[in-house]
Amino acid sequence: MEDSTTGHHEPEWEVSPWPLVVSVGALFMVPLAFSFYFVYDKPLMAILSLGIGVPLVIASVVGWTKGGIADIAHHGKEPGFATGAMPFFIVAEAFIFVSFFAAYWVLRLKAPNWPPAGTPEFGVTIPIIMTILLVSSSFTIHFSEHAIEHGDKGGFRNWLIVTIILGAIFFLLSAFEWSHLMHGGFTMKTNLFSTFFYSITGFHGSHVIVGLIIFLCILVSAFFGKVSKTFVKSASVYWHFVDLIWFFVVTQIYFW
Amino acid sequence: MSTKTGKGKVIAEWIFTTDHKRVGILYLIGSLAAFLVAGLLAMVIRMELSEVGPQVTDPNTYNVMLYFHGAAMILGFQIPALTGFLANYLIPLQIGAKDVAFPRLNALSLWLFWMGIILALLTFVVPDPPDIMWTGYPPYSIISPGNTALYASTVLFMGFASIAGGVNLITTIIYMRAPGMTWGKLNMFVWTTLGAFIIQLVFVPVLGSAVIMLTMDKYLGTHFFNPASGGDVLLYQNLFWFYSHPAVYVILLPVLGIIFDITATFARNRIFNYWACVVGGVGGIVLISGEVWVHHLFTSGMPNWIRVGMMVSTLLISVPVGIMVLSLIGTLYRGAIEFKTPMLYAAGFIFLFLIGGLTGIPHAIASLDLALSDTHFVVAHFHYVMAVSGTFAIVGGVYYLFPKFTGKMYHEGLGKIGFVVTFIGANITFFFMFLVGLGGMPRRYFDYSHMPELQDLQQIVTYGAFILAAGLFITLASWLVGLFKGKKAEDNPWGSRSLEWTTKSPPGPGNWAEVPDCTDYDPYGYGEDR
Repeated sequence: MEDSTTGHHEPEWEVSPWPLVVSVGALFMVPLAFSFYFVYDKPLMAILSLGIGVPLVIASVVGWTKGGIADIAHHGKEPGFATGAMPFFIVAEAFIFVSFFAAYWVLRLKAPNWPPAGTPEFGVTIPIIMTILLVSSSFTIHFSEHAIEHGDKGGFRNWLIVTIILGAIFFLLSAFEWSHLMHGGFTMKTNLFSTFFYSITGFHGSHVIVGLIIFLCILVSAFFGKVSKTFVKSASVYWHFVDLIWFFVVTQIYFW
Repeated sequence: MSTKTGKGKVIAEWIFTTDHKRVGILYLIGSLAAFLVAGLLAMVIRMELSEVGPQVTDPNTYNVMLYFHGAAMILGFQIPALTGFLANYLIPLQIGAKDVAFPRLNALSLWLFWMGIILALLTFVVPDPPDIMWTGYPPYSIISPGNTALYASTVLFMGFASIAGGVNLITTIIYMRAPGMTWGKLNMFVWTTLGAFIIQLVFVPVLGSAVIMLTMDKYLGTHFFNPASGGDVLLYQNLFWFYSHPAVYVILLPVLGIIFDITATFARNRIFNYWACVVGGVGGIVLISGEVWVHHLFTSGMPNWIRVGMMVSTLLISVPVGIMVLSLIGTLYRGAIEFKTPMLYAAGFIFLFLIGGLTGIPHAIASLDLALSDTHFVVAHFHYVMAVSGTFAIVGGVYYLFPKFTGKMYHEGLGKIGFVVTFIGANITFFFMFLVGLGGMPRRYFDYSHMPELQDLQQIVTYGAFILAAGLFITLASWLVGLFKGKKAEDNPWGSRSLEWTTKSPPGPGNWAEVPDCTDYDPYGYGEDR
């Protein structure tokens, strides 16, 4: 990625291979692998697709992050619009959850009896622990953001690591709960409640993973001494949003 | 364009580009490819319907063709040509920015869109292509042998491209306007596209969720749309149209925007009632767009009070749209109109859109729609109001920007002939399709042996479609002749006051050497007496 805006040279076209590479990777990783496995029943081809897609996507995430670091390093260019853009992205994200929750409410309020047959008793311990974890991680990321704004790089890094650990434990607990329920015979196919339980917690979990990946990218670049404050700020806003969605998940799915 | 180190560098500079102009042009190429394939399929569909009995294809292939025609024309052609090509190319130039806020994200949108095109084209390769129309209603899409996952992933890729593009360009418009570029100095195109992107942000995710639920139901065994275990098929229709009705405003708003800019330029006139258009027109459409979707479900069964409510909101949206069309007429009034090809398309648009809009009223009225729903009358209506009007605006927009983005002039004579032939063809096709629909022809039918009296009208429609296709090929010829043999374009061939014409033709990296100062700028500053 050559710099283009310096001085008296004829300006050059800016390029980056990663958007194209990640798109091709996504094509193999999601629709082709899915179609091979679930539609055509060819697991080998599905694994092959994943084998092409996953490395491309990982390479692009790494390359893209490197490019971002280089941008800050070479000309101190801050991706200064990230905080401005994040609210709009969150609006779009929120509407995914709006549609799932709307579907859930409509179908649940129409149902003659709830929960439908086949639903096991849900314990309250795990969701309460998960809530505590996620809420405290919202605080720790806020401390981290606060630290970097006051130039405290050590504090920033430590709070970020704490946030990642809290998020990871949250995710592991969620995975543990899923596998526990599935072994008890409560799968996605069981009934209408299992449909919504797995899809909504699954969607929320995927947002947790995306948040963790973003934090890891920030952490890695922080180890190279490159931190973009706007990027940290928008990642933190995103994490608060994930936290907010969890309130709906826990009250509507677990405790209602 | 630098060709210092040969062809390889040029190709790499194109496919790895993050420049908004090149991203826009690559969007245009992809959307025109989708248009070409889907248009050729429309010709096959018309040949099939021209006479009673099976003609050139079989019912299953016919369904696949209808699926591809609808999905590719809306998701692959119109939305990317407007919110991909036109918006990407024009918005930074019109607000005085060097690029969009996130150039790499912009390239990501572009390539996700291209992957969507590839997924859509896989329809012709896979053994069990989707045959579920672009709507994908369950339960058929769940029990059909067709590959519903292919449909869903096409929608998701295009949808993600739309969302990322929307976030990007909204941020660009808010934060990257040149010094002195106040909100009141924005081109109508910028305002209307901003409205379209806001609609996309809110509604595209809902469509994404709907097709994800559909895929999960079919392949993972969930129960969203399975009435036997408490699900509801109407849930899908509601989620689908909750996006897909606003999608017509995603198309309409940029269409009106580019028509406004063309009209103002060629009529040498200010936008009549600029703020009424922005606040009442764009704002009104954005506000009402999400409260009308149920009119697609009038025949699906619902309480009458919902029918009446949605009938009122549907009729209400003709108020903001009417404000904008009146402003278009007001912009022409006492203008010094110069009928170059782009202006012809703008004028043609007003006529076609008027017919399309007026024939929408009977659909909005629930009692009439119960009789007209799912006939060719609907098909003719939405082709007038969205398909042909939208295409006229896109083609007009390409003509308008052709000197800017190619640096050459298109062939004016071929352009005008192409316009006349297309206009005649479109009106023959879709006017007679109204008559076919009033005669009772249901849409999506492969054959109509139970109503042979419609054959004469159907044949006229087919002839019209071929005239329309001929017109579009003449248009293509006008562009190709211009591209290879056209004379070099000036920087501002139309004498427009708008900011995008102050760049070189074609603009280089960064658009301007310096970010322009817009303190004394007025995009429509033609004459001081108004």
